[in-house]
Amino acid sequence: MAVIFLTFLAGLAALFGISILQYTLAGFRLSSIVIVAAIGLTVIYGIRGFANFAYGDLMTLGAYVALFVNMNLALSLIWGAIVSFLALAVVGILLEVLIFSRLEGRGPVPPIVASVGVGLIIQNGINWGGTTQQWIFRIPAVTEIPIVPGIGFHWIRDFGTFVVGIVFVVSVHILLTYTNLGKAMRATADNLELAKATGINTKRVTYAAWALSCSFASTAGILLGLIGVLSPTMGFNVILLIFAAVIVGGIGSPYGAVLGGLVIGLSQEMSVPLLIWLERPDVLHLEHSTAYKVAIPFIVMIGVLIFRPWGIAGRPPAFARRVFFMERLTQVLGRRGDATEPVQGEGGG
Amino acid sequence: MAIDSGTWINVGFYIYVSIAFAILALGFNLQWGYTGLFNAGIAGFFLIGAYTAAFAITPPTPPSIGYPGHLGGFSLPLPVGAVLAMVASGAVAALVALPTVRLRADYLAIATLAFAEVLRIFAINLESITAGTIGIPGLPAPVEFNPPDAFLNATVKVAVSAALILVLLLVLYFMAESPWGRVLRAIREDEEATMALGKNTFQYKLQAFALGGALMGLAGWLFVITLNYIEPTGSSAATTLGFAPAVTFSVWVMVIVGGAGNLRGSVVGAFVIYGFQWLSVQLKDLAPTELKEGIPYLRLMIVGVLLIVLIIYRPEGILRERKRVLR
Amino acid sequence: MNQTAGHPILSVQDIHKAFGGISAVDGCSLSVAPQSVTGLIGPNGAGKSTLFNIIAGLYRPDDGSILFNDTRIDGLPPYEIVHLGLSKTWQIPHELRNMTVLENLVLGAKQNSGEHLLNLFIRPQGVRRDEQRWRARARDVLKLTQLEGLANEHAKSLSGGQKKLLELARVLMTDPALVLLDEPVAGVNPTLAASLMDLIEKLRLEGRTFFLIEHDMNVVMNRCDRVIVMHQGRTIADGTPASVKANPVVIESYLGG
Repeated sequence: MAVIFLTFLAGLAALFGISILQYTLAGFRLSSIVIVAAIGLTVIYGIRGFANFAYGDLMTLGAYVALFVNMNLALSLIWGAIVSFLALAVVGILLEVLIFSRLEGRGPVPPIVASVGVGLIIQNGINWGGTTQQWIFRIPAVTEIPIVPGIGFHWIRDFGTFVVGIVFVVSVHILLTYTNLGKAMRATADNLELAKATGINTKRVTYAAWALSCSFASTAGILLGLIGVLSPTMGFNVILLIFAAVIVGGIGSPYGAVLGGLVIGLSQEMSVPLLIWLERPDVLHLEHSTAYKVAIPFIVMIGVLIFRPWGIAGRPPAFARRVFFMERLTQVLGRRGDATEPVQGEGGG
Repeated sequence: MAIDSGTWINVGFYIYVSIAFAILALGFNLQWGYTGLFNAGIAGFFLIGAYTAAFAITPPTPPSIGYPGHLGGFSLPLPVGAVLAMVASGAVAALVALPTVRLRADYLAIATLAFAEVLRIFAINLESITAGTIGIPGLPAPVEFNPPDAFLNATVKVAVSAALILVLLLVLYFMAESPWGRVLRAIREDEEATMALGKNTFQYKLQAFALGGALMGLAGWLFVITLNYIEPTGSSAATTLGFAPAVTFSVWVMVIVGGAGNLRGSVVGAFVIYGFQWLSVQLKDLAPTELKEGIPYLRLMIVGVLLIVLIIYRPEGILRERKRVLR
Repeated sequence: MNQTAGHPILSVQDIHKAFGGISAVDGCSLSVAPQSVTGLIGPNGAGKSTLFNIIAGLYRPDDGSILFNDTRIDGLPPYEIVHLGLSKTWQIPHELRNMTVLENLVLGAKQNSGEHLLNLFIRPQGVRRDEQRWRARARDVLKLTQLEGLANEHAKSLSGGQKKLLELARVLMTDPALVLLDEPVAGVNPTLAASLMDLIEKLRLEGRTFFLIEHDMNVVMNRCDRVIVMHQGRTIADGTPASVKANPVVIESYLGG
């Protein structure tokens, strides 16, 4: 695996010049954050069946809790991360108990509306707390390690993010494959009724899922704060990226979340050289072209929604009525004028 | 009885902004309250209508130092601007609907939210077309008085908005309570059953979504001719006058309050919810100093609480949908 | 309509459908004679409802073909199949809960000009006329199914048996030549069940064909001309009720499962 990876990097460098590695690095770093966040989001999506629009704001909350510990309690960020992890786990369980358990069985829209409400409360609560200024975490000063002229490797920002990402992915894998709780979670996500019928305590599984989801959100938020600054809208700004990763990877699948996160992170950052090229006067003269890099993952997501809505790791649904755009298009294009003529090829086999 | 000019201008502002929101709410009600299409990109269609109107009705402002210039400047008459805004938003809505209305409600929500955000990114950064965050100047009011008279201006704007909403309510009522509207409601109730009754549900969803989008574009037109400014970010992240997602969420509350499938309810909901926001600005000076800065955030927090409480306990809205007794 | 005696109105040919690796319909073939009341029986999980959903266009078959009046309908969307004259009721009634009974029925109209947006504005007279016509027809169908008094009640306030009647009434509004009935009398009291089946017999004499899934052996034996038996996704027997009842393969399938 590592060999393939390094060859890939070397190939890129050969083709586009060494500076492309800078973007690849940024891409992997973003991917690490998105992966951690996406795993948390997809777990709730799979078990509770809805898109948690408050997730970005939960990430923000996690970052601010850690900030509070870091600044006001003058403790190292590691402590901040631990406190935040636990605090958000509690928040997640509270959300389920107070709000989302009452919306069970009402379809996908009511929980979305409620989660938007939760997000508004969190985001504006933080805003109101007087922290409209931007903050940075206090971390030990570290000089960057130059790999090649112009590309630096920051111990905490880059290496730390990768390591955290990998640790979390491995932990989730161990949880889901080897622990009873993990297996129960997979069963519940697959088929709630069946899980209940086989005696699984789905209530406990749901609480565990919420705790995991929000704790992961807190860590992702902290990582996000590490590579930039903290602001009250930092989480909301990236929530669509996280959704994109979850959709591309397949809803409910943590492994899909890893793949989706990679796709999203890399596509966003590695589109920058392309966009810079587009800014040149002799090409498109597109001003502020790099600002569009955030739109690239959305375009990928929309493409996935059109052609393969169940994502990389998901399964296509059984019902013909959920015929997605392409099938409808083929039908329209292949339509005969007279319905009584025998059909050739289409549909029947 | 003489009305204090300042108060009237203030109240007038409340009225015509509420009406713009009411039109947004009517559009969303058509999409979701009637047809069950949960559009999370309302702000995007609002933006398209507003900018199309701005391009159409303003005089040209050529680029200069410190001003990037903008598209259009055709100085067209205002009604033409309205039509263009509706056509642009409606057409884009139809395009967006083609791949998305067949998707599950949550996918539709995510896709439309992404769409609206991408649009906003473009509006902010494509400065040569939209003049970016500086905005497009010279947006004309319905009647330009000479010498400028804010009082009469406010009166005209209120009159235009009121006339517009009355006409819209009549037309929409006619459409929504027709057999066509009945099919939409059936789709919201149970799309599979409606298909099994012989209806091409895809077509109906497409129409409802496009029409809803056109209405949102019209709201955009009204917005720019009454507020006379346009720029993509809104004055702050907490604002609900602009094209940020907070606008979309506010419209959701308005329609939920007013009742899905209840057209008059959407108008009432708009006046109530925006009224609450407008009041909080008016009463700002009366608040204790500690609260003062927090008011815009507190407002949105209350919107959040409303969303949660309503969707749990009164999802069908505060004003109920009437039973249709056919004769 | 093409109704030569002996020529089937519906012909299912070697239909296959699998869901995530599990085969629900596994090479099923059968045919239904016009103006008949044909029964479809079989143990639970035999694939009967799935087959009905495939015929009605709600699922796409993985393989095989279906002919309705010599027209291939597999792969067509449900609304087109309804327009061709084939309608289906649901095993669990899918009434439109927050709409009135009359609204539920009127929606079954196949050609109501008011349902097309443009017509509202360019042909208002025609719209009004069509609407009156269909409301009148809806009331007739309500009389036929003994639901008159409930015309303006919300569908959700109906009892279980009344909802079943509503299912049938709605399907009749689409003026079908062939009706697929998925357990029309399940959970319905015997008196109501009898009058339902009487109604079906009456409609059959008017020229319609009925193909029904049922577990109630009374209904199957006494009311059906022919009975088709499905087991594990395919047809295992096809004949008169008496012959099927005595068929050892059939007995085995119910006992062995």
